Amino acid sequence: MASPSPSERRLQKELSSLMKDPPPGVSVDANAVYQHLNLWNVHMKGADGTLYQGEDFQLQFRFSSKYPFDSPEVTFVGDNIPIHPHVYSNGHICLSILTDDWSPALSVQSVCLSIISMLSSCKEKASTLSIEKH
Amino acid sequence: MKVKIKSWVGVATWRWVANDDTCGICRLAFENCCPDCKLPGDDCPLVWGQCSHCYHMHCIMKWLNSQQVRQLCPMCRQEWKFKE
Repeated sequence: MASPSPSERRLQKELSSLMKDPPPGVSVDANAVYQHLNLWNVHMKGADGTLYQGEDFQLQFRFSSKYPFDSPEVTFVGDNIPIHPHVYSNGHICLSILTDDWSPALSVQSVCLSIISMLSSCKEKASTLSIEKH
Repeated sequence: MKVKIKSWVGVATWRWVANDDTCGICRLAFENCCPDCKLPGDDCPLVWGQCSHCYHMHCIMKWLNSQQVRQLCPMCRQEWKFKE
């Protein structure tokens, strides 16, 4: 087997640290990730005491070969896309750390934590469309 | 009693004195080299920023070179300046 590339080595490390110490409500199918290290499906539960309590979401992380120098592409996928002012109905997430404010010191763990906190701080379920109407 | 030393073998260890064990960019141990290098040590040195954060030189250079607008420390987002 070819030796892993720099991005693959980092993703392997991230996978084991995410398995060991996942943010609350976050889980990942490690076997599936080992098959395709550049494409992760992460399960996320809506945090208790928030508008998303009891809901299950699926996030897809896509990593380029330049990761962590390039940010991962992170979108909600599956049949339950959270209704949130910063989440488009196609699953795209408007979050600065995923674009302009990306830093290679961030990780799958910290991105998951940011998304949980983005959802949890929401006061009213409103879609991006209704925000644009205001 | 007189002892005559016929031969001896010296063994030394070394480590970087850094405020962390692993590079925040590649997540590999500072005692190892960055993922692009084969040998740790002088060929793959550590560098410090004025903010006191430290990385493999090759890792931070790769990051800074990829930033067109502003060059910030990946950890604290302060403007990156090499520590003299």
